[in-house]
Amino acid sequence: MTALIYSTTILLFFLGLAAVVLRRQLLAMLLGLELMVSAVNVSLVYLAGLFSDAQALAAVLIIIAVAAAEAVVGLTLIIDLREQGREADCSALRELKG
Amino acid sequence: MGFWALCAASGAAVVFAGLMLLQRSLYAAALCLLVVLLQVSAIFFLAGAPLLAFLQIMIYAGAVMVLVVVTIMAAPAAARRRFAALEAPWPLAAVGLLLPAAELAVFFKRQGLPAGSLGAGAGLQSSIGPILFGPYAAATEAVTLLLLLSCLALIGRVRERRKDER
Repeated sequence: MTALIYSTTILLFFLGLAAVVLRRQLLAMLLGLELMVSAVNVSLVYLAGLFSDAQALAAVLIIIAVAAAEAVVGLTLIIDLREQGREADCSALRELKG
Repeated sequence: MGFWALCAASGAAVVFAGLMLLQRSLYAAALCLLVVLLQVSAIFFLAGAPLLAFLQIMIYAGAVMVLVVVTIMAAPAAARRRFAALEAPWPLAAVGLLLPAAELAVFFKRQGLPAGSLGAGAGLQSSIGPILFGPYAAATEAVTLLLLLSCLALIGRVRERRKDER
């Protein structure tokens, strides 16, 4: 059972990492990030049950909230880029502007 | 029964995560991620954390994915046509939809696999609250502020754009 959870976590994490590294669309990269966070949560929840450690469940709850905030800010920046008429493509973004 | 249910949920999550990577269309990628997130919540449920499973569905599969779809819709017309092409192979889309439905059917038919049917952690989550407002109080307050600031960032952007349009 533990091996199944670990292999699922590793596969999901690296598929998310591949999405972040290989895709150029900012939105696709954001989806990859969400996948990586969910992958870590899978292991945390399972091990929390295995070792009867409720703190890990509390940590997962906090991680889910932080990931929601990250998604809001990330999507706001993507919409902002488009409003400026720029492509939401990481290769087109060269400099940080205020 | 728990092990086979875990195999089904894990397998589907990994397959659709791989599909998400391969999709050219952002809509199809978002739908694949939606299936992955639903399967992750099924794993949470099997691992004995039904509260986190429901939060995963509400926050991730619900709120975040709606934001993703709105962002795709906000794309300029030329890009939108490229993003919106839904070339997802329909058999896989059917699997992505039927699997959560089948899991729900198993849940209701067998009065649900006993939460924590992986033999662990059935009663753990009742102590999440005291932990969040005890040893984790600072982290809880910080996350609350973070959520507030991210909402203010969104509202601030919308108001600035309205000012530009006037």
